Amino acid sequence: MRTPINKDYIDPVGKSVPRIDGLGMVTGQTKYAFDVSFPNMLIGKMIRSPHPHAKILNIDTSAAEKLPGVRAIITAKDTHNIKFGSNEYFFPHTIDQMALEAEKVRYVGDELGAVAAIDEETAEQALRLIKVDYEILPAVVDMEEAIKPDAPQIHESLNNIAVILPVNFGNPDRALKEADYVREDVFFAPAAHQAALEPHVCVGQWEIFSNKVTLWASSQAPFKCREALAKTLKMDLNDVRVIKMSVGGGFGGKLEMLPMDFAACLLSKKAGGLPVKICYSREEEFLASRRKHGMKYTIKSGVKKDGTLVAITGEVLADGGAYCSYGPTVLAAAIMRIFMVYKIQHFRITGYRIYTNTPISGAMRGFGGVQAGFAIESHMDMLAEGIGMDPVEFRLKNITSPNMVTVNKMYLTTNGLKDCIEQATNAAQWTKKRGQQKNVCRGIGIGIAADVMGSKMYKSHESAGSIVKVEEDGSVYLFTGAADTGQGSNTALSQIAAHELGVSYSRIKCKSGDTEITPFDTGSFASRVTFISGNATILAARDAKNQVLDVVAQDLDLNSEELDIKAENVIRRADNSVVMTFDKALELCYAFKYGRQIIGRGSYNPKTTPIDFRTGEGNVSGSYGFEAQIAEVEVDKETGEVKLLKLWDAHDIGKAINPQSVEGQIEGSLAMGIGYTFLENLHFDKKGRPANGNFAHYRLPRTMGLPEMKSILIETNDPEGPFGAKGMGEASLLPTSAAIANAIYDAIGVRIKELPITPDKIIKALKEQQQTTKI
Amino acid sequence: MPTLKINNKEYEVNLKGHETLLEVLRDHLGLTGTKTACEESECGTCTVHINGKAVLSCIKLAADCVDDEILTIEGLAHADQLHPLQQAFLDKGAVQCGFCIPGMIMSAKELLEKNPTPTREEIDYALDGNLCRCAGYLKIIEAVEQAGREMKAAK
Ligand code: FES
Ligand code: FES
Repeated sequence: MRTPINKDYIDPVGKSVPRIDGLGMVTGQTKYAFDVSFPNMLIGKMIRSPHPHAKILNIDTSAAEKLPGVRAIITAKDTHNIKFGSNEYFFPHTIDQMALEAEKVRYVGDELGAVAAIDEETAEQALRLIKVDYEILPAVVDMEEAIKPDAPQIHESLNNIAVILPVNFGNPDRALKEADYVREDVFFAPAAHQAALEPHVCVGQWEIFSNKVTLWASSQAPFKCREALAKTLKMDLNDVRVIKMSVGGGFGGKLEMLPMDFAACLLSKKAGGLPVKICYSREEEFLASRRKHGMKYTIKSGVKKDGTLVAITGEVLADGGAYCSYGPTVLAAAIMRIFMVYKIQHFRITGYRIYTNTPISGAMRGFGGVQAGFAIESHMDMLAEGIGMDPVEFRLKNITSPNMVTVNKMYLTTNGLKDCIEQATNAAQWTKKRGQQKNVCRGIGIGIAADVMGSKMYKSHESAGSIVKVEEDGSVYLFTGAADTGQGSNTALSQIAAHELGVSYSRIKCKSGDTEITPFDTGSFASRVTFISGNATILAARDAKNQVLDVVAQDLDLNSEELDIKAENVIRRADNSVVMTFDKALELCYAFKYGRQIIGRGSYNPKTTPIDFRTGEGNVSGSYGFEAQIAEVEVDKETGEVKLLKLWDAHDIGKAINPQSVEGQIEGSLAMGIGYTFLENLHFDKKGRPANGNFAHYRLPRTMGLPEMKSILIETNDPEGPFGAKGMGEASLLPTSAAIANAIYDAIGVRIKELPITPDKIIKALKEQQQTTKI
Repeated sequence: MPTLKINNKEYEVNLKGHETLLEVLRDHLGLTGTKTACEESECGTCTVHINGKAVLSCIKLAADCVDDEILTIEGLAHADQLHPLQQAFLDKGAVQCGFCIPGMIMSAKELLEKNPTPTREEIDYALDGNLCRCAGYLKIIEAVEQAGREMKAAK
C-alpha cells in the first residue's frame, strides 16, 4: 500500500501545518520518559544531604541493604570519582560536580548516593535507614556574603568566585568623561525555576554481559547527556545509548546529565541489569535540578545630548549555587548580548559567578538575557529620560543595523531590529499613548532585544546531522539528532524536509534524539535547532532528491541537473513540465532494474568564528534574531496592583517555517516573562533550601489575568538560514520585564528596579515618590 | 476484587485502600495518558472525569470510585473520530510539549458540556487550575472556543 498524500501539505514551509506528534498528545498515547515502564523495573531514590555544607565522614548503608526489597545501593565508592560539568571546552576549571559526592556536600539536596528497590515505599524506607556522619561546616547562602574574604569556602576558588569575565572594549572611562549625561543604576533579578510540567525522570538499564547501558530520558540534549554519562561511568561513548522520549518541557532545565541519570545506570548495573526508574517529585525539582541565576546588575552609561550612547560600564554578580553547571556561559550571555542590540564602542562590564550553598544555577530559557534585559532596557529608558528624549527615538538612534560588524566582531547579516521597533510601536499606537494616559494611571513601555540563533559555544564543533530515507511505499523518514522538547522542532524539521524534497508533509515520519540511531546534534538550546538542524535537514533532503533524480535521468536518458522535484512531481527545470509523479519515480528507484535505496544525508556546522571568552570577541552565531516588545499597563495606586493590558511583540525570525508554532513560542515566552515579572521568585531559607519549592508557593502564570498578546512576525530572509529562517523561542522573553517596568513608569512615574514587581513594591515606591515631591 | 469502570470498560483492581486514582490508572492499569506534575492538587495535570465532573485524580482515593463512571483522556475519541476538543487543540496549535494537555482537555470538557458558548472569562476561570508552562494559554483558549461551537452545532 502506498502512503496516502495530503495535497494541502505540499510546499509546507510557511504553512501552519498541524504538529507531527499532536495526535498522540491529544489522545494520551504519547509516551514520555515519565510513562516508561518495564517488567521488574525498580524504583530509584537519591540519598541527599540535609546540610548545606558539610564534610562526609562516613556512610553506613548496612541496615538499608538488609531491608527486604532493596536491590542496590550506590555511593561514591562505587564510582570512578570523575567530575562533570557543562562548559568543559571553554572553562575547564568549572568542571566541579561529582556524579555522587565523596568528600563534601555543598547544598541541601546534594547527592551522595542512591538506592533501588522494588517499589517507592521500600526505596524511601531504605533512605531512612542510611546513616551518614557529617562534619558540619559553616554555610553561606547570600552571594554578596559569599564573596567576602572570611566567608566559608565552598570550592577551591578564591572568595567563592568561580568565574570572572571581564569584557572590555575601547576606552569607556574616557568616553564617560566626554558624555553629556551619565547615570548609574542597580537592578536585581531573582532566581526562578524552569518548572517544566514533566519533572526530571529517567530509566536506566545495564546490559550486564555486553557492558552497555541505555537511558530513557527526558532530555533537551541527549548527545550531551551521553557524553557526560560515558565520562562519569568511564565507558566508551557508544556503549552508552540515550533515548530521548517525548519531553514534557525543558526550558533549559534538561540540558545536562544530572546525578539521577548516572545513578539510574549504575544502580541497574549493581542490581544485575534490572531497569531502574528515577522520577523527581516536584519538591526535588525545585531543590536538585537546575534553576535560574539570581543576578545583581550594576550598569553605568553615558550619552550625548543628541542621544548617542557613548559608553557602558558595569558589574554583574550572578548567584551560581553549589556548582557551575552552565553558569560561565550564562554569565557571558548576560553581558554580551548587548552588542547585538546597541552600537557601542566603549564598554566594560565584569561578571562574577559566585558559589553559594544553594541549589545549582544553570540554564533557563533566555540564558542570562532575561535578567540582563530587565536591567539594560530599564536603564536605557532612564538614560533617554535624562536627556529628554523619547525612549523609542533613543533606541532607534543607537541600535545595530544590517550587515554590520559589532565591536566584539559579531557579524550581523540580516537585522530587522528597526523594523521590529517600528511595527511594534505602530501597532501599539506608541506616539498617541506614551505619556498621555497618566491621568488614568495607564502607561506604555518598550523593551528590545537580540539573540544568537545558530551559535557555537560549547564544543569544538556544534554541528547537526540529518538523514532522509525514502521508503518503497513512499513514506519519508527523517532522522535527526535534534531534541524536540515540545517546541515543535520535529514538525518544523519535517516541513523543511518535505519542502526541499518536493513532497507533501504528510509523507514524513520523524525520529529524533536517539544517540544510537540518529545523527549527532548538540541539542535544543540557544534557539539553534531551526537554523542548524534545519540546514542539516535541507542538505539531507536535497541529497535524497538528487538520488531519485539520478535514477529518473538514467531511465529517461536525461541529464539529472535538468530535473527537479516540486509539488509531488518530477519536473523539467526549464519549463516546469511534469516528467512523472514522485510515486512513479520511486517505483523506478525500487524497480528490479535499479534497486536504488534512497538515503540522503546532511551535516551542517554554522559558519562562525570561535568566541574568546576572555575578551568576549568572536562571531559566535550563524544568525542573529531581533525583537521589540511593547507593554501597556494600568496601575491601581491604592492597591499597587498592576493590570497588564496588552503585549505587542515584533520578532525578526528570518522566516516563519510554521507561523502557528512561531506564535505559540512567542506566546509561551511572553507568559513566562509575565510570570517572571510579577510572580516568580525562587528564594531560599537560612539553610539555602527553596523557601517556596512547590506549586502551592512558587506561583506560575495561569489563565486568569493574562493580557491580550499580539505577535508580529518580521521576515528578513536570512541568507544562511533554511528557507531564510533564523531560530526563535527565547528572544521574546528577554525584554518583557523591562517593557512592563517601563510602562509602569510611564503610568505612575515610579521605577521598580527589583523583580518581581509586586503591589507592595509599587506602594513603597509611590510613598517614596510622594516624600521626594514634598521636599 | 473491587472493579473500576473506566472509559466504559470494567477493570478488577487489587486495592490496598490508600492508592490514589491517579496511581491506579497509571501504575496498575497502564493508562498513562493521565499525567501528574505535583500530586498536591495545584497543577490540574491529573484531571479526569468522575460521573461527568472534572476531578483531580491525584487526591482522589481509587477505593472511593468503585461505583463511578470514570473517563480519562484515552476514552475521549471514538474509533478514529476525535472529540471536538481534541481536534480543536490540534487545529489551533494549542499543543506544545503536550504534558498538560490531557488535564486541560478534561477540564475544558466539563465546562463545555455545561456551557458550550462560554465567555473568555468563563474559560479563564474553568482552566485556571490547569498549569501549562509552554503555550501561554491563548491558543488553548481559542481551541476551547472552537470546540464549544462545534459541540453546540452537533447537539
Ligand atoms: S497532579 Fe493532581 S493537581 Fe497536580
Ligand atoms: S504544552 Fe507543555 S505544559 Fe502545556
